[in-house]
Amino acid sequence: MFAGIDIGSSSSKAAIIGDDGRLLSVSVHNQGAGTDGHRQALERALALAGAERSDIRFLVATGYGRMRYEGADRQLTEISCHAKGVAWLTSGARTIIDVGGQDSKAIKLDAAGNVANFAMNEKCAAGTGRFLEVMARVLDCRVDELSEIAAASVKEVPISSVCAVFAESEVISRLSSGERPEDVARGAHVSIARRIAGLAGRIGCQPEIVMTGGVALNGDAVACLSKELGHEVLVAPHAQAIGAVGAAAFAWEMARAAK
Amino acid sequence: MSYRETVTKLRERALDPAKSAAALTRETGKPLIGCFPVYAPEEIIYAAGALPVGMWGGKTELKLADRYLQSFCCSVMRANLELGLKGSYGALRGVVIPTFCDSLKCVCENWKTAVPQLPALPIVYPQNRSAAGTLYMKDELARFKGEAEKLLRVNISEEALMAAWETYEDCRAAQRGFVAAVARHAGAIDAETRHLILKAAYFSDRAEYARLLRVITEGLASEAEDSTEASPGIRRRAYGIKAVLTGYMSEPAEILRILDENGVAVVGDDLAHASRQFRVAGRREGCFWELMAGRMADQSGCAFLYDPNKSRGRNLLHMVREADADAVIVFMMKFCDPEEFDYPIYRKELEAAGVPVLCLEVDQQTDSFEQIRTRVQSFAETLGTAPLGVRAGGKA
Repeated sequence: MFAGIDIGSSSSKAAIIGDDGRLLSVSVHNQGAGTDGHRQALERALALAGAERSDIRFLVATGYGRMRYEGADRQLTEISCHAKGVAWLTSGARTIIDVGGQDSKAIKLDAAGNVANFAMNEKCAAGTGRFLEVMARVLDCRVDELSEIAAASVKEVPISSVCAVFAESEVISRLSSGERPEDVARGAHVSIARRIAGLAGRIGCQPEIVMTGGVALNGDAVACLSKELGHEVLVAPHAQAIGAVGAAAFAWEMARAAK
Repeated sequence: MSYRETVTKLRERALDPAKSAAALTRETGKPLIGCFPVYAPEEIIYAAGALPVGMWGGKTELKLADRYLQSFCCSVMRANLELGLKGSYGALRGVVIPTFCDSLKCVCENWKTAVPQLPALPIVYPQNRSAAGTLYMKDELARFKGEAEKLLRVNISEEALMAAWETYEDCRAAQRGFVAAVARHAGAIDAETRHLILKAAYFSDRAEYARLLRVITEGLASEAEDSTEASPGIRRRAYGIKAVLTGYMSEPAEILRILDENGVAVVGDDLAHASRQFRVAGRREGCFWELMAGRMADQSGCAFLYDPNKSRGRNLLHMVREADADAVIVFMMKFCDPEEFDYPIYRKELEAAGVPVLCLEVDQQTDSFEQIRTRVQSFAETLGTAPLGVRAGGKA
């Protein structure tokens, strides 16, 4: 068996692939780099696959914490691993939008599914999951409730601040002036969608567009992004853990190549 | 001294600029004049019996500079001002401040109030570098000479000026020889060492520096390509990508180590801090003023000198082809407007020619390099030169 582990800034993900290349399990643990979340994610994925650590012949680590994970045979970037994961589980993708807790990335793929170009956000929370976490805190809800709240909106409250810190003040001001939380949540999704669309524009966004990362689980944010890009954005299977799936796929390929 | 020992000597000189500057004035007995980026008439200072030293920022905690330059200004200018306000430039007699960008223009005025104990010698280079610009440049250089004479209380003779010109021309030839040798022996000198050896020029008497540099260049030429012997700064390693660097300067040096980790060798550069300083050979005819003005007029493809022909992209393509490089890596200094203005133009030209480009936004005060590590490693993976990634522990 082969394992991939994606140690992100806010969660750890693991995936196991069998000798025949079939995906056996994935797991997500909501603790990221600097914690033992990676151990728990891997243990869970192993348990789901009915396997033990000693069954793993090759392990690839990816994500923000990849360089400090000592149990890896190789460390690859999340850009390569998301592309590999998407190619492993889907077909026809030419653009990947990966929005995680700390980073957002736009990845351009060639016809064979290889990375042709990529763009990353700069050191700023705008356009990342962190922005939505800040919004959820102001709206006094969990980040995974934002989509449902925004679905009940009747209008979009524009959030003009790009900076997450200034946006927080702006949202507090909007709520104080009587705006509904549902409409503010929609405004937050539109704001993040605009930042991501700008990033995607840097690589030349082409359909099919597939979204990965934790923010892909937010249906309203995905719908806002589709509108901004003018193309339907598809959500990858195991969107949050697809970097781990790609890492496991690399592990499978590398072990075979080494034979 | 062997060439390996010379590499170590110049590395150490560049790693501790304050110590190196203090040693320079102690050993030579000459006063030091600090020179702000990008270009300064160093030959005139040298002819006055002083030694120019580079002031290209440095890592420091920014506490005082905010009084004059906000956080959206270039980190090199902020660092220079911070160090001036902290009194770190005690070894200097004065500073030369040219006005190549908006931040430099502000610093030029702010310096007089912020650091009054260290006199500023402003100089304004012409944007128009045609015949009229060259005529102006000659006058401006002559004015600068007068200011330098007053500050240093000397008379600078024509003979001293020509001798300084020859010393600098010889040094620039040695620098060109060194970067060409590194391009041929890219596996021997890692990216950080190449940078440090070139940086050491800013804290050296150029006559001595040129001699040391030639020792390294000749040593490299005599090295067997397959040598595995290692010493500080010199080692043989396999690399997957040959890159040309462009931008303002390749600091922080941690990024160069990340290039090395990912198998990227530097085979050429178009950096303002490095090759732009010496890539243009001086004309052979004319008086000192004509030679000095001519060198600026002959420079092309520099973000800080108006270039109506927009030749930077073509220059980079030429460099890529000449060095058989695989990619161009941009060190984009955050908030450096002149460099940012050029970027979309040359990027388009490079990509149209099929040359992959990686742009790294850099800031001298950066402490966290994980995002940059991801960008560099992803770039290497995309080019297919690091298909097996990096082993645990970060060792290729």
